[in-house]
Amino acid sequence: MPATTFQGLSPARAVVRPDIPHAVRGRFRSIKTVLAGLMLGFFFLAPWLRWERGPALPGQAILFDLPGRRLFVFGLEFWPQDLPIAVGLMIAGALALFFATTLAGRVWCGFACPQTVWSDLFFAADRLIARLVGKGALERRLRTAAWISIALATGVGFTAFFIDAPSLPGLLLSGRAPAIAYATVLVLTGTTWLLAAYARERVCLHMCPWPRFQAALLDRQSFVVTYQDWRGEPRGRKRDMLRPDLANPGRTPGLIALVADATAFSAPVRGDCIDCTRCVTVCPTGVDIRKGLQMGCIGCGLCIDACNEVMARLERPAGLIRFDVESAQAAPGFAPPRLDWLRPKALAFGLAALLAFGLSGYGMATLADVTAHADPQRNPPFVRLSDGSVRNDYALRLAHRRAELARVVIHAEGLDGAQLRLGTLDRPPTGALTVTVGAGRSLDERLLVLLPRDAAPHGRRDFTLVLTDPASGEELARVPSYFWGPES
Amino acid sequence: MAAPERDHLTGYNTTGHEWDGIKELTTPIPHWWVTVFLGSCFVALLYMWLFPSFATTTGVFRGQLGWTSRGQFAEEVAAGRAAQAEWRARLDQTPLEEIEANPDLRRFAIAGGRAAFNENCAPCHGVGAGGQIGQFPTLIDDDWLWGGQIAEIHQTVRFGIRSGHEETRDSLMPAFGDSLSAAEIEQVADYVLSFSDPQASEAASNAMPGAALFQQNCAACHGVRGEGSREFGAPKLNDAIWLYGGTRDAIKRQIAHPRMGMMPAFAAKLDDATIRMLAVYVHTLGGGER
Repeated sequence: MPATTFQGLSPARAVVRPDIPHAVRGRFRSIKTVLAGLMLGFFFLAPWLRWERGPALPGQAILFDLPGRRLFVFGLEFWPQDLPIAVGLMIAGALALFFATTLAGRVWCGFACPQTVWSDLFFAADRLIARLVGKGALERRLRTAAWISIALATGVGFTAFFIDAPSLPGLLLSGRAPAIAYATVLVLTGTTWLLAAYARERVCLHMCPWPRFQAALLDRQSFVVTYQDWRGEPRGRKRDMLRPDLANPGRTPGLIALVADATAFSAPVRGDCIDCTRCVTVCPTGVDIRKGLQMGCIGCGLCIDACNEVMARLERPAGLIRFDVESAQAAPGFAPPRLDWLRPKALAFGLAALLAFGLSGYGMATLADVTAHADPQRNPPFVRLSDGSVRNDYALRLAHRRAELARVVIHAEGLDGAQLRLGTLDRPPTGALTVTVGAGRSLDERLLVLLPRDAAPHGRRDFTLVLTDPASGEELARVPSYFWGPES
Repeated sequence: MAAPERDHLTGYNTTGHEWDGIKELTTPIPHWWVTVFLGSCFVALLYMWLFPSFATTTGVFRGQLGWTSRGQFAEEVAAGRAAQAEWRARLDQTPLEEIEANPDLRRFAIAGGRAAFNENCAPCHGVGAGGQIGQFPTLIDDDWLWGGQIAEIHQTVRFGIRSGHEETRDSLMPAFGDSLSAAEIEQVADYVLSFSDPQASEAASNAMPGAALFQQNCAACHGVRGEGSREFGAPKLNDAIWLYGGTRDAIKRQIAHPRMGMMPAFAAKLDDATIRMLAVYVHTLGGGER
């Protein structure tokens, strides 16, 4: 096997890593820049978007209203009981992450992970400052100032998701913001600064659990950053002769192997890698991808950009380092890389993710804006009143998300002669009970249902509580329940 | 031990351990990690020094801060009480009849009343205040021996029934097992049952043999038509609710050898704000009078 013959000929040499990875230009750098811009832009600007919801509700498009226990996302409003939707989205996100990893390695890590995006931001700031003022004490001071500014902006930006954004800076400065807001700003600023000043790639290497179990998801069909060692080895300087098999790649691989074996050791020859170590110095985690895929590789593709720059200068084809499936190495050639979609594992994760997204989307689309529960109180199962009538008690919980709903009428369907009243005893029992639903938009009351002595069932009788809006006559909710009467 | 071997790829020594041709390197742990570990050890020791941490031969090491979980609990209870102080004061100052008109105060009273009820009243009256037939009255029906308005419930909770407290509500049902014959008791029971029987006509029941006996012995407290009297805590006999059972046998037993329940006075055990909460809570259970 030619590929293995050439591998390992050049002894590993220690590559000195720079403090800050070197800048690079290229396709993946551009993708990363655009994505980082979009994500940072969303993070810092989203809380400032407005959304008109009416007088009693906040006008912020995205707001996590923790004191009110409500979550506003544009036109949607989530309550604590909608937690299954959030869980569904989390499951869908996890499955999508599994799918992406199975298909294309750590694309999440390299392009979308907040750690990557913020590290990128810090690297860019560091490089800019070094270019403006050069190395030295001033640079260190400016850098610290930049880190703390970004950290503070991050802290305030995060807090703005939880509190009215336009009034937040003023509240914070004047000391009138709630204590939890200050705590959030402080914690987020502190952790961001810690990540900026010390952690950065150490998070990816030592703290993040994801590289540990991505190994279970990756296989030889995953589309990951690979070094084409059949082509790169042996490494050598540019003035060494290029391996003959690489000089004219049009020939068949079998012939290449024969010629290569015959000529490899007669004179110093080299593959395409000139060991310039640029792929290592641009890597955010300092990985030498030429040693093969490893835990520290976050799949960001910057080494590909760096190597392609060098290959262009050498007038050699691009793609010595490229996204490819590892199994492609067994069949060397200049064929374009291929992405393996149609694998059971990738398809299973992809379909499961789609299913979870679909279910969560269905849940969101069908959020009921009026919910009602009536739990029969079983201790005691029924109460005998002095005139012989029988009463059942229910814990009635009613919640609605409608701004205009002021009153609700409740009646019992399928229970002839039933009289209803609330535990507050405000009004005498009536067949159709009118309930005022205050501005609190939820109601927790004791609902009493009375049946005359002769109408009371022996044992259980099922019926339905029907809630209607008296203003529009619309039926809001149907709550199946049961009435329990004396058995003898 | 074999001499350490240097790995030419990484530059680190091997430990000399080898499994299936794979050799273990002595790669050092990152510095920050060791620092954090040592820091954690220091914090652990600090904790042991500050807090109760280990047994000694003579007792328990108490820690420098003198902290105990019991003390913390007491502090939290006190803090909770302090946080409620304003509401409790408002509860004490608001007239009983007006508490329910104030939604916030009512909510506070119901929440506190439910907790106090489950702690103090549920052992007899049940968690849902359903009582127990033949033992303890139901508090959620519309029949009240001593009155079902908030003030009356408040009075009962404070001083109890036949509790021995000087302001307690007290009443006595004489035992007729000695003065009436078994046949007479049966006649009275039949007559009493006719009060709540919708089929029994007035004329027919007045002609019953028990009628005269009832007017003679029972009507003074229970009323001529068994309508009861709250002044004496005499139960209504003309409704569907029977504290000690509504069967003929149960009524006969109650005439011959009456049982009379006892409820303790809570004035000494609970503060007035809590008793007010209880009164409001019981009143909202569905049977309270307005």
